[in-house]
Amino acid sequence: MAGGLRLQDESADGRRYNDENSIGEKDMKYILLMSGTRAGAETYHASPKQDINAHMAVLHRINQDLAESGEFVATQGLSEPKEAKVVRGEKNGLPVTDGIFPESKEFLLGYWIVDVANADRAYAIAGQISAASQNIPIEVRQFAAHEAKSR
Amino acid sequence: MKYILMMNGKKSDFERYARWSREDLQANVSFMRTFSKELKDSGVFVSTEGLGWPSEARLVRAGNDGEPITDGVFPESKEFLAGYWIIDVENPEQAYKMAARASQAPGAGGKPANMPIEVRPVLSGHADLGL
Repeated sequence: MAGGLRLQDESADGRRYNDENSIGEKDMKYILLMSGTRAGAETYHASPKQDINAHMAVLHRINQDLAESGEFVATQGLSEPKEAKVVRGEKNGLPVTDGIFPESKEFLLGYWIVDVANADRAYAIAGQISAASQNIPIEVRQFAAHEAKSR
Repeated sequence: MKYILMMNGKKSDFERYARWSREDLQANVSFMRTFSKELKDSGVFVSTEGLGWPSEARLVRAGNDGEPITDGVFPESKEFLAGYWIIDVENPEQAYKMAARASQAPGAGGKPANMPIEVRPVLSGHADLGL
Protein backbone atom coordinates (compact mmCIF):
# COMPACT_ATOMS: atom_id res chain seq x y z
CA MET A 1 0.00 0.00 0.00
CA ALA A 2 1.10 3.51 -0.78
CA GLY A 3 4.48 2.39 -2.00
CA GLY A 4 4.24 5.60 -3.96
CA LEU A 5 6.02 7.27 -1.09
CA ARG A 6 9.35 6.55 -2.74
CA LEU A 7 8.50 5.86 -6.31
CA GLN A 8 10.79 8.50 -7.63
CA ASP A 9 14.48 8.38 -8.10
CA GLU A 10 16.46 10.00 -5.40
CA SER A 11 19.65 11.70 -6.44
CA ALA A 12 22.84 11.99 -4.44
CA ASP A 13 21.91 15.35 -2.97
CA GLY A 14 18.75 13.89 -1.53
CA ARG A 15 16.44 15.92 -3.73
CA ARG A 16 14.02 14.12 -5.95
CA TYR A 17 13.66 14.55 -9.64
CA ASN A 18 10.99 13.43 -12.04
CA ASP A 19 11.46 12.35 -15.57
CA GLU A 20 8.87 14.85 -16.69
CA ASN A 21 10.45 17.95 -15.27
CA SER A 22 13.08 19.13 -12.89
CA ILE A 23 12.20 20.79 -9.62
CA GLY A 24 11.52 24.40 -10.44
CA GLU A 25 11.93 27.53 -8.39
CA LYS A 26 8.47 27.18 -6.94
CA ASP A 27 8.91 23.56 -5.91
CA MET A 28 5.36 22.96 -4.72
CA LYS A 29 3.92 20.32 -6.95
CA TYR A 30 0.25 19.48 -6.76
CA ILE A 31 -1.85 17.06 -8.70
CA LEU A 32 -5.43 18.03 -9.56
CA LEU A 33 -7.53 14.92 -10.04
CA MET A 34 -10.83 14.82 -11.89
CA SER A 35 -12.84 11.72 -11.05
CA GLY A 36 -16.29 10.40 -11.78
CA THR A 37 -18.45 7.31 -11.82
CA ARG A 38 -18.87 5.19 -14.92
CA ALA A 39 -22.44 6.52 -15.32
CA GLY A 40 -21.17 10.10 -15.09
CA ALA A 41 -18.52 9.46 -17.73
CA GLU A 42 -21.09 7.85 -20.03
CA THR A 43 -23.45 10.80 -19.66
CA TYR A 44 -20.61 13.15 -20.52
CA HIS A 45 -19.60 11.20 -23.60
CA ALA A 46 -23.24 11.08 -24.76
CA SER A 47 -23.60 14.88 -24.60
CA PRO A 48 -23.71 16.93 -27.85
CA LYS A 49 -20.41 17.22 -29.66
CA GLN A 50 -20.47 21.02 -29.56
CA ASP A 51 -20.80 20.93 -25.76
CA ILE A 52 -17.79 18.64 -25.48
CA ASN A 53 -15.84 20.83 -27.89
CA ALA A 54 -16.73 23.96 -25.90
CA HIS A 55 -15.59 22.26 -22.68
CA MET A 56 -12.34 21.16 -24.30
CA ALA A 57 -11.72 24.67 -25.60
CA VAL A 58 -11.93 26.08 -22.07
CA LEU A 59 -9.63 23.37 -20.68
CA HIS A 60 -7.21 24.06 -23.52
CA ARG A 61 -7.19 27.75 -22.60
CA ILE A 62 -6.53 26.93 -18.94
CA ASN A 63 -3.60 24.74 -20.05
CA GLN A 64 -2.22 27.56 -22.17
CA ASP A 65 -2.51 30.02 -19.28
CA LEU A 66 -0.65 27.58 -17.02
CA ALA A 67 2.07 27.13 -19.62
CA GLU A 68 2.47 30.90 -19.91
CA SER A 69 2.69 31.39 -16.15
CA GLY A 70 5.28 28.58 -15.94
CA GLU A 71 3.08 26.52 -13.64
CA PHE A 72 2.26 23.75 -16.09
CA VAL A 73 3.98 20.41 -15.55
CA ALA A 74 1.80 17.75 -17.15
CA THR A 75 -1.74 16.79 -17.97
CA GLN A 76 -3.24 13.52 -19.01
CA GLY A 77 -6.70 12.31 -19.90
CA LEU A 78 -7.62 8.70 -19.29
CA SER A 79 -9.71 6.38 -21.41
CA GLU A 80 -13.30 5.65 -20.44
CA PRO A 81 -13.98 3.64 -17.26
CA LYS A 82 -15.37 0.74 -19.29
CA GLU A 83 -11.79 0.04 -20.42
CA ALA A 84 -10.49 -0.25 -16.86
CA LYS A 85 -9.20 -3.55 -15.55
CA VAL A 86 -8.04 -4.41 -12.09
CA VAL A 87 -4.98 -6.64 -11.99
CA ARG A 88 -3.57 -8.75 -9.21
CA GLY A 89 -0.48 -10.91 -9.24
CA GLU A 90 -1.09 -14.43 -8.05
CA LYS A 91 1.37 -16.92 -6.64
CA ASN A 92 2.74 -17.86 -10.03
CA GLY A 93 3.22 -14.17 -10.86
CA LEU A 94 0.73 -14.30 -13.72
CA PRO A 95 -1.72 -11.43 -13.97
CA VAL A 96 -5.32 -12.03 -12.96
CA THR A 97 -7.54 -9.41 -14.55
CA ASP A 98 -11.03 -8.39 -13.65
CA GLY A 99 -13.22 -5.70 -15.14
CA ILE A 100 -15.98 -5.65 -12.55
CA PHE A 101 -16.21 -2.56 -10.34
CA PRO A 102 -18.89 -1.39 -7.94
CA GLU A 103 -21.24 1.18 -9.47
CA SER A 104 -20.14 3.71 -6.88
CA LYS A 105 -16.48 3.43 -7.91
CA GLU A 106 -14.94 6.75 -8.79
CA PHE A 107 -12.65 6.47 -11.78
CA LEU A 108 -9.86 8.89 -12.50
CA LEU A 109 -10.86 10.75 -15.66
CA GLY A 110 -7.81 12.93 -16.00
CA TYR A 111 -5.26 14.97 -14.10
CA TRP A 112 -3.14 18.10 -14.18
CA ILE A 113 0.19 18.47 -12.44
CA VAL A 114 1.08 22.05 -11.55
CA ASP A 115 4.09 23.62 -9.90
CA VAL A 116 2.83 26.55 -7.86
CA ALA A 117 3.88 28.95 -5.13
CA ASN A 118 1.37 27.72 -2.55
CA ALA A 119 -1.68 25.56 -1.91
CA ASP A 120 -4.10 28.46 -2.47
CA ARG A 121 -2.85 28.84 -6.01
CA ALA A 122 -3.42 25.11 -6.63
CA TYR A 123 -6.97 25.50 -5.26
CA ALA A 124 -7.58 28.51 -7.49
CA ILE A 125 -6.55 26.53 -10.59
CA ALA A 126 -8.72 23.62 -9.47
CA GLY A 127 -11.59 26.10 -9.07
CA GLN A 128 -11.10 27.26 -12.67
CA ILE A 129 -11.17 23.70 -13.95
CA SER A 130 -14.23 22.96 -11.82
CA ALA A 131 -16.05 26.04 -13.10
CA ALA A 132 -15.28 25.00 -16.67
CA SER A 133 -16.57 21.48 -16.01
CA GLN A 134 -20.07 21.85 -14.57
CA ASN A 135 -18.64 22.43 -11.08
CA ILE A 136 -17.33 18.87 -10.83
CA PRO A 137 -15.22 18.67 -7.65
CA ILE A 138 -11.47 18.47 -8.24
CA GLU A 139 -9.32 16.62 -5.72
CA VAL A 140 -6.08 18.42 -4.94
CA ARG A 141 -3.10 16.56 -3.51
CA GLN A 142 0.52 17.37 -3.01
CA PHE A 143 3.19 14.92 -4.13
CA ALA A 144 4.79 12.56 -1.65
CA ALA A 145 8.28 13.81 -2.46
CA HIS A 146 7.57 17.23 -1.08
CA GLU A 147 5.65 15.87 1.85
CA ALA A 148 8.49 13.53 2.78
CA LYS A 149 10.93 16.42 2.65
CA SER A 150 8.85 18.55 4.98
CA ARG A 151 8.59 15.91 7.70
CA MET B 1 -0.06 2.23 -26.40
CA LYS B 2 0.23 4.10 -23.16
CA TYR B 3 -1.28 2.64 -20.01
CA ILE B 4 -1.56 3.97 -16.49
CA LEU B 5 -1.15 1.57 -13.55
CA MET B 6 -2.79 2.96 -10.45
CA MET B 7 -2.53 2.01 -6.80
CA ASN B 8 -5.58 3.07 -4.84
CA GLY B 9 -6.43 2.74 -1.18
CA LYS B 10 -8.81 3.89 1.48
CA LYS B 11 -7.65 6.15 4.28
CA SER B 12 -7.58 3.13 6.59
CA ASP B 13 -5.22 1.33 4.18
CA PHE B 14 -2.82 4.27 4.27
CA GLU B 15 -2.99 4.34 8.07
CA ARG B 16 -2.19 0.62 8.18
CA TYR B 17 0.72 1.17 5.82
CA ALA B 18 2.08 3.89 8.08
CA ARG B 19 2.21 1.34 10.93
CA TRP B 20 4.25 -1.27 9.04
CA SER B 21 7.58 -2.18 10.60
CA ARG B 22 10.64 -0.40 9.31
CA GLU B 23 11.88 -3.61 7.64
CA ASP B 24 8.58 -4.11 5.84
CA LEU B 25 8.56 -0.51 4.63
CA GLN B 26 12.15 -0.82 3.44
CA ALA B 27 11.40 -4.06 1.59
CA ASN B 28 8.42 -2.40 -0.10
CA VAL B 29 10.37 0.72 -1.09
CA SER B 30 13.25 -1.38 -2.35
CA PHE B 31 10.86 -3.45 -4.47
CA MET B 32 9.32 -0.29 -5.93
CA ARG B 33 12.74 1.08 -6.84
CA THR B 34 13.70 -2.18 -8.54
CA PHE B 35 10.37 -2.23 -10.35
CA SER B 36 10.86 1.32 -11.69
CA LYS B 37 14.36 0.38 -12.80
CA GLU B 38 13.04 -2.70 -14.60
CA LEU B 39 10.50 -0.52 -16.42
CA LYS B 40 13.25 1.90 -17.44
CA ASP B 41 15.65 -0.86 -18.51
CA SER B 42 13.00 -2.48 -20.68
CA GLY B 43 12.24 0.87 -22.34
CA VAL B 44 8.55 1.07 -21.38
CA PHE B 45 8.84 3.66 -18.60
CA VAL B 46 7.09 7.01 -19.13
CA SER B 47 6.57 8.47 -15.66
CA THR B 48 5.75 7.66 -12.07
CA GLU B 49 4.53 9.68 -9.12
CA GLY B 50 3.67 9.01 -5.51
CA LEU B 51 1.01 11.15 -3.87
CA GLY B 52 0.86 12.69 -0.40
CA TRP B 53 -1.34 11.32 2.35
CA PRO B 54 -5.15 11.41 2.02
CA SER B 55 -5.32 13.60 5.15
CA GLU B 56 -3.81 16.36 3.00
CA ALA B 57 -6.29 15.91 0.16
CA ARG B 58 -8.77 18.72 -0.53
CA LEU B 59 -11.81 18.75 -2.73
CA VAL B 60 -12.20 21.99 -4.65
CA ARG B 61 -15.26 23.40 -6.38
CA ALA B 62 -15.78 26.78 -7.94
CA GLY B 63 -18.33 28.94 -6.16
CA ASN B 64 -20.74 31.23 -8.02
CA ASP B 65 -18.17 34.01 -7.94
CA GLY B 66 -15.53 31.68 -9.37
CA GLU B 67 -13.60 31.56 -6.09
CA PRO B 68 -12.48 28.09 -5.00
CA ILE B 69 -14.38 26.39 -2.19
CA THR B 70 -12.25 23.74 -0.47
CA ASP B 71 -13.41 20.81 1.58
CA GLY B 72 -11.37 18.09 3.26
CA VAL B 73 -14.20 15.73 4.20
CA PHE B 74 -14.42 12.47 2.27
CA PRO B 75 -16.56 9.36 2.79
CA GLU B 76 -14.71 6.50 4.50
CA SER B 77 -15.21 4.34 1.43
CA LYS B 78 -13.38 6.85 -0.78
CA GLU B 79 -10.46 5.36 -2.67
CA PHE B 80 -7.48 7.66 -2.84
CA LEU B 81 -4.85 7.44 -5.51
CA ALA B 82 -1.60 6.43 -3.79
CA GLY B 83 0.64 6.52 -6.82
CA TYR B 84 0.87 5.58 -10.46
CA TRP B 85 3.12 4.48 -13.27
CA ILE B 86 2.60 5.35 -16.94
CA ILE B 87 4.12 2.86 -19.35
CA ASP B 88 4.28 2.63 -23.12
CA VAL B 89 3.77 -0.97 -24.24
CA GLU B 90 2.79 -2.97 -27.31
CA ASN B 91 -0.47 -4.43 -26.03
CA PRO B 92 -2.73 -4.62 -22.96
CA GLU B 93 -1.38 -8.04 -21.97
CA GLN B 94 2.04 -6.52 -21.45
CA ALA B 95 0.50 -3.80 -19.28
CA TYR B 96 -1.34 -6.44 -17.22
CA LYS B 97 1.89 -8.36 -16.77
CA MET B 98 3.64 -5.26 -15.39
CA ALA B 99 0.66 -4.56 -13.15
CA ALA B 100 0.83 -8.11 -11.80
CA ARG B 101 4.49 -7.54 -11.00
CA ALA B 102 3.61 -4.32 -9.11
CA SER B 103 0.83 -6.20 -7.34
CA GLN B 104 3.40 -8.55 -5.87
CA ALA B 105 5.21 -5.81 -3.97
CA PRO B 106 5.89 -7.08 -0.46
CA GLY B 107 3.36 -6.09 2.17
CA ALA B 108 3.26 -6.45 5.94
CA GLY B 109 5.42 -9.38 7.01
CA GLY B 110 7.35 -9.21 3.72
CA LYS B 111 4.87 -11.42 1.85
CA PRO B 112 3.56 -10.33 -1.57
CA ALA B 113 0.60 -8.07 -0.87
CA ASN B 114 -1.18 -8.92 -4.15
CA MET B 115 -2.81 -5.51 -4.00
CA PRO B 116 -5.13 -4.66 -6.87
CA ILE B 117 -3.68 -2.40 -9.56
CA GLU B 118 -6.09 -0.53 -11.80
CA VAL B 119 -4.99 -0.46 -15.44
CA ARG B 120 -6.38 1.94 -18.06
CA PRO B 121 -5.22 3.18 -21.44
CA VAL B 122 -4.39 6.87 -21.35
CA LEU B 123 -5.50 9.14 -24.16
CA SER B 124 -2.61 9.91 -26.44
CA GLY B 125 -3.90 12.59 -28.76
CA HIS B 126 -4.78 16.17 -28.01
CA ALA B 127 -8.05 15.67 -29.84
CA ASP B 128 -9.64 13.52 -27.16
CA LEU B 129 -9.45 15.89 -24.22
CA GLY B 130 -8.53 19.17 -25.83
CA LEU B 131 -5.23 19.00 -24.01
